[in-house]
Amino acid sequence: MARGISYLVVGILAGAALTGISHGVVQVATANGASGVPLFTEVFNKVRTNYAEKPDDDKLVRGAIDGMLASLDPHSTYFDPKALQDFQTSMKGEEFGGLGLEVMMDDGLVKVVSPIDDTPAARAGLLTGDMITRIDDTPVKGLTLKEAVDRMRGPAKSSVRLLVQRGSGKDAREFTIVREIIHVQSVRSHLEGGDIGYIRITQFNQEAYDGVRKAFDHFRSDPGEAKLKGYILDLRNNPGGLLNQAVEITNAFVDGGEIVSTRGRDADNRQTYSARSGVNLSQGKPVVVLINGGSASASEIVSGALQDLKRATLIGSRSFGKGSVQTILPLGEEGALKLTTARYFTPSGRSIQAKGIEPDIPVAENIPDDLKGKVSSLGEASLVGHLKNGTEEAKGSDAYVPPDKTKDTQLQAAINLLHGAKPEALKTAPATVTSQ
Amino acid sequence: MNRNAGFLSFGVVLGAAVTLAAPQTLAYLSPAAQAAASDTYRQLNLFGDVFDKIRNDYVEKPDESKLIEAAINGMLSSLDPHSSYMDAKSYKDMQVQTKGEFGGLGIEVTQEDGLIKVVTPIDDTPAAKAGILSGDIITAIDDTPTQGMTLDQAVEKMRGAINSPVKLKIVRGPKKDVKDVTVVRDLIRVQSVRSHVEGGDVGYIRITQFTEQTGDGLKEAMDKLKTEIPADKFKGYVLDLRNNPGGLLDQSIAVVNSFIDRGEIVSTRGRTPDETQRFDARPGGDLSGGKPLVVLINGGSASASEIVSGALQDHKRATLIGTRSFGKGSVQTIMPLGQDGALRLTTARYYTPSGRSIQAKGIEPDYKVLEDVPADLKGKDDMKGEASLKGHLANGEEDTSASQAYVPPEEKDDKQLKAAIGLLHGEKPAQAAAADTGAAKPAVQTGKADGSQAPAPADSSKPN
Repeated sequence: MARGISYLVVGILAGAALTGISHGVVQVATANGASGVPLFTEVFNKVRTNYAEKPDDDKLVRGAIDGMLASLDPHSTYFDPKALQDFQTSMKGEEFGGLGLEVMMDDGLVKVVSPIDDTPAARAGLLTGDMITRIDDTPVKGLTLKEAVDRMRGPAKSSVRLLVQRGSGKDAREFTIVREIIHVQSVRSHLEGGDIGYIRITQFNQEAYDGVRKAFDHFRSDPGEAKLKGYILDLRNNPGGLLNQAVEITNAFVDGGEIVSTRGRDADNRQTYSARSGVNLSQGKPVVVLINGGSASASEIVSGALQDLKRATLIGSRSFGKGSVQTILPLGEEGALKLTTARYFTPSGRSIQAKGIEPDIPVAENIPDDLKGKVSSLGEASLVGHLKNGTEEAKGSDAYVPPDKTKDTQLQAAINLLHGAKPEALKTAPATVTSQ
Repeated sequence: MNRNAGFLSFGVVLGAAVTLAAPQTLAYLSPAAQAAASDTYRQLNLFGDVFDKIRNDYVEKPDESKLIEAAINGMLSSLDPHSSYMDAKSYKDMQVQTKGEFGGLGIEVTQEDGLIKVVTPIDDTPAAKAGILSGDIITAIDDTPTQGMTLDQAVEKMRGAINSPVKLKIVRGPKKDVKDVTVVRDLIRVQSVRSHVEGGDVGYIRITQFTEQTGDGLKEAMDKLKTEIPADKFKGYVLDLRNNPGGLLDQSIAVVNSFIDRGEIVSTRGRTPDETQRFDARPGGDLSGGKPLVVLINGGSASASEIVSGALQDHKRATLIGTRSFGKGSVQTIMPLGQDGALRLTTARYYTPSGRSIQAKGIEPDYKVLEDVPADLKGKDDMKGEASLKGHLANGEEDTSASQAYVPPEEKDDKQLKAAIGLLHGEKPAQAAAADTGAAKPAVQTGKADGSQAPAPADSSKPN
């Protein structure tokens, strides 16, 4: 395996669709003359010499590579240099020049969900609930959220003027804020109800484990070990990321045992990742993992391991079912190949490929009428050309998380469980909002 | 262009037509030559690199010939919709189809309720001599039951080497009498030309596709019509090219030449000016005695059909009746690869005598006449033409609208044919829409529209 300089990647986006061409019929080549690369070269040369128009060599080869990869599985793909750079950036953690605001669209205006600590927005005094009505001289009304966000982003040290309405009196205020490099955290955490450590991982990028470690540090001082009832690890709609981060994060909850093994084509391509002792940060407190149809690959490694090791209770809906490992194989100056090189297996030896992980306690969210049918993930088993895994494949699972956490049935079930509710009660009972 | 040995051929809408070129020298690039690194070789190296990495590292052992085939198909699909790779099987099928002859029995068969049914035995063939009748059901071929076979599989099994025998089990008539018949295969020629006399004074000729047999078939048909219709009564010819998807270039030239004695028929232009070829009528080729001619076209008339109708229109030799043709103005050359497969590559565009390219435009009939389409076929009868195919060669202002491609099975319902006969009797056809006649002036400027591959001409029976 050419794995020297390569990253191990477990899928990036749930939908990580194929680039390029799909073709219907796959025929069986039985050419007795040229075959393999010489046959390809022969066709390539004939096209270059004889085609009715001068073909673009780059496009021809790109079409060939895309065609070849599309005949494999849906996660094998070619990155040209630009796509490779984007990919690497996303693995490093997202960074951009901006203000440090989380925003959402509300009634045609941009509403501040929260200013991020230690950013220009927080220092300038923007508050949760502020409504942004104008960015520089452009009214927000009529812009999409993305257009508004694009206007707020820009090079570091450049400035932007925001007109903001605040409070019930809708007092208008103008802020001039200087942009900085904003670092998007892939891990967020907070204390839930005073006694539960809630950790959400949005993606397994290179900073994910550090983020989890910091969260544990924080919980150790607030509320302190004595008060802490347990942890909620929220992996819903987390499409995956780096394998080593998944292994490290699992290790933060366990003291020993196998976490995951990967198997390539040959027996000697097998690799086992086991927990090191002494790096368990969770003090043996109970853990609930939240998963749904958008939890894929690295998320499934973590939840599968914690389930097999009986270290966590899984709540939510069946996960995506991506049980393969991709390796980034560099192609010099030509970008890189993201190639499926192995399947992975949970500690008990199961492959979740095209099956997903069933939660221990299935809990469904109440999906608003206008989103019904739009928020379920079709899953790996629905992707054309997915690696097969026996006959019992499973398709489709909800992937909706309510923005308002009091309406988040899965989260509330996790909190209730950590507070001692019986699991049977959680399956059927509607969300009960605990007093905070 | 390595065209000395190559035939020019016109692909059809549906992958029919074309012939073989003599094997060409294979030009492999040695690894050393690749290392010699121009931009092209950089590209080939990239491809080789990716191929090797898949071969070594993919999670399952890949089928290398499938990978290469997927690569070739991927590369060709970045070109136009008529360039494709044919593996040994599809190359062989194509050769049979363009040759228009094969070893077989001489029956047309169709599939009904899963059963293989004889449509008609062809005159003077082993099947006819052995007494096989229309309506016979073939239940077994060489002791293999036909139940569960596709029509193609059954046809494949009945075809074979000349002089080899084949045993058929036949169920006949309402009493379902069972018979075993052994038939010795012979060379069967597919009739691509059919003809008959219309109303005692019009010679009707239908060409279903342009195979190697077409030129000769047309001559036979015209000779026969001349003996059947007295010269003084002979009002003229109807040449029916509806739903004819095309075929061989040389045959389309022969067909045009049967109606004109001089002048250019078509020219083809490759990428560079020195690849231009012009094909002229041979004097003495005209067999029509100058009788009036009506050509029937519709949305299913493509490539070689469009060469014929375009040339006859430009020469004002024929009046075109029907609906706008498909619009395939490109030429494919077949290049054998190795011993078995072949590359079908678009190598040129063709131009009618007046210098127009019909690519993605089609040919407008002189009189647009629509057929009445039965309710259950409405919407399915329209052919989206070349301009709707993904990746088609661009040609200025194109016409992406669909064109009717329906021919009624009953002659009495066939309004286009009636209009043609009427015109030969001096009656001007009633037009469907006045705006759509005469010189083509497609109104719609388009980019590439998505569209599915055009459907096959609706001929479900198969000769064999």
